[in-house]
Amino acid sequence: MPTPTPTPTPKVLPSSLWPNVSLGLRCGQTNQLLFPYNLHTDIAKASKKHSGFRLRAGFWDSIKSGFLKNSTTQVVDLPSTREEAEEPLPEEFVLVEKTEPDGAIEQIIFSSAGEVDIYDLQSLCDKVGWPRRPLSKLAAALKNSYMVATVHSVRKLPGSEGNDQKKLIGMARATSDHAFNATIWDVLVDPSYQGQGLGKSLVEKLIRALLQRDIGNITLFADSQVVEFYRNLGFEPDPEGIKGMFWYPKY
Amino acid sequence: MELKWVTRPKTQKPKSLSPSQPPLPIFISTKPSHINPDELRRLYGVCNLSGHRFPTQADEFLDVGKLRVALYHSSFVVSVFCKSRDMISASEESSSSSSIGMWDLLQKVVKPVTPQNGELVGFGRAVSDLGLTASIYDVMVAPPLRGMGIGKMIVQRIIRMLTRRDIYDIAALCSENERPFFEACGFGDDILGSTTMMYTRTVSASTNGNQMAKRFGRKLLFVPALKKQRFTNQ
Repeated sequence: MPTPTPTPTPKVLPSSLWPNVSLGLRCGQTNQLLFPYNLHTDIAKASKKHSGFRLRAGFWDSIKSGFLKNSTTQVVDLPSTREEAEEPLPEEFVLVEKTEPDGAIEQIIFSSAGEVDIYDLQSLCDKVGWPRRPLSKLAAALKNSYMVATVHSVRKLPGSEGNDQKKLIGMARATSDHAFNATIWDVLVDPSYQGQGLGKSLVEKLIRALLQRDIGNITLFADSQVVEFYRNLGFEPDPEGIKGMFWYPKY
Repeated sequence: MELKWVTRPKTQKPKSLSPSQPPLPIFISTKPSHINPDELRRLYGVCNLSGHRFPTQADEFLDVGKLRVALYHSSFVVSVFCKSRDMISASEESSSSSSIGMWDLLQKVVKPVTPQNGELVGFGRAVSDLGLTASIYDVMVAPPLRGMGIGKMIVQRIIRMLTRRDIYDIAALCSENERPFFEACGFGDDILGSTTMMYTRTVSASTNGNQMAKRFGRKLLFVPALKKQRFTNQ
């Protein structure tokens, strides 16, 4: 197995104008991923029970459209045509690769492309014991999230061409105003894959992506049993007395 | 979007003393296009707010470019305007006469306050995934006009827009001194007992020098490194 060579830190453009999506492993200046694993061709080949929702966190769409109408003072010329031309590949890379005794290879793949089958997500939420939420709301929430990071397990059986078993085993998402604030919601990992550092990877990738885009206020609301988990990742409860309050309708 | 009238609640003085101030006309809007980013930046400054949750003591320079981006990506924004003249009279402690002259009244009716002729005096915004959750940020009212119910009006307008889209999970991050305001608007601690946490990890002097960190106000935040791939053979 080849060992991956250390990669140079991706160039970060002035993030207020143009956030840099760079979570994949890159070769120098070209956008080639070191491990040319392309989930999409495999998705097309593999048979799926449901067509499902194909949702993509719309980074580029939200930036391509114009700013406020009466922006007389500062006209920002977004290099939209250039970015459109080199629309980056979905940011995904292999976190872990295991070779099983029978020759099957299981790859744990991280992706920030936000491709989530909504039914897979629903069943993952069931597995961790979360109450069910309406699918349409879930779909809307994913679509309008600033970033959706996923972890999939892909199992390639020896000798079977293109018949990979792919399943969603982890997800985390963040909403943001793209400038100052972000809130991390819905972090979950399949119970049979917990304890391997996948949750940690998901959250760390989100934090890294947010900080690189100069979004500094990263908040989340943790259940009591996961407060320690987030503390280990660098989160502080009620820092300087800042608390989250929730709205309760009074009838 | 509409014209409203706000008043200061009557003070607890004996009846013989100063009468209450005349009602103040304001214009409340939910249209992002009514907001001039430069005026908004000025309002942030006047209210001593910057984008950072942990600002430095000195005047934080709020980047107008970043503010535009934040505005554009806020799902809902509320802005409140009033005429400069009215704002000056409202900030005066003692009003010379409680009655509104005919000319003033005529002015208010014939030339009501609009986003174009008024000054931005109040603001609030919310970021939402338009499905499940929403967070309210940066609710502010210019100091001379506080205590008149404008802030509460802003929050209630935001809530109305959210509940209309069937979003009821509405959060607001606030510091100790902002709590009473949000409590008055109907906010409380999470009934599910969740803990609010913010990312505050900073670089430590002891570990290796190759750590990447970024400054946000007072905090120098540590940026987690990209981890390399692991290969295992079972």
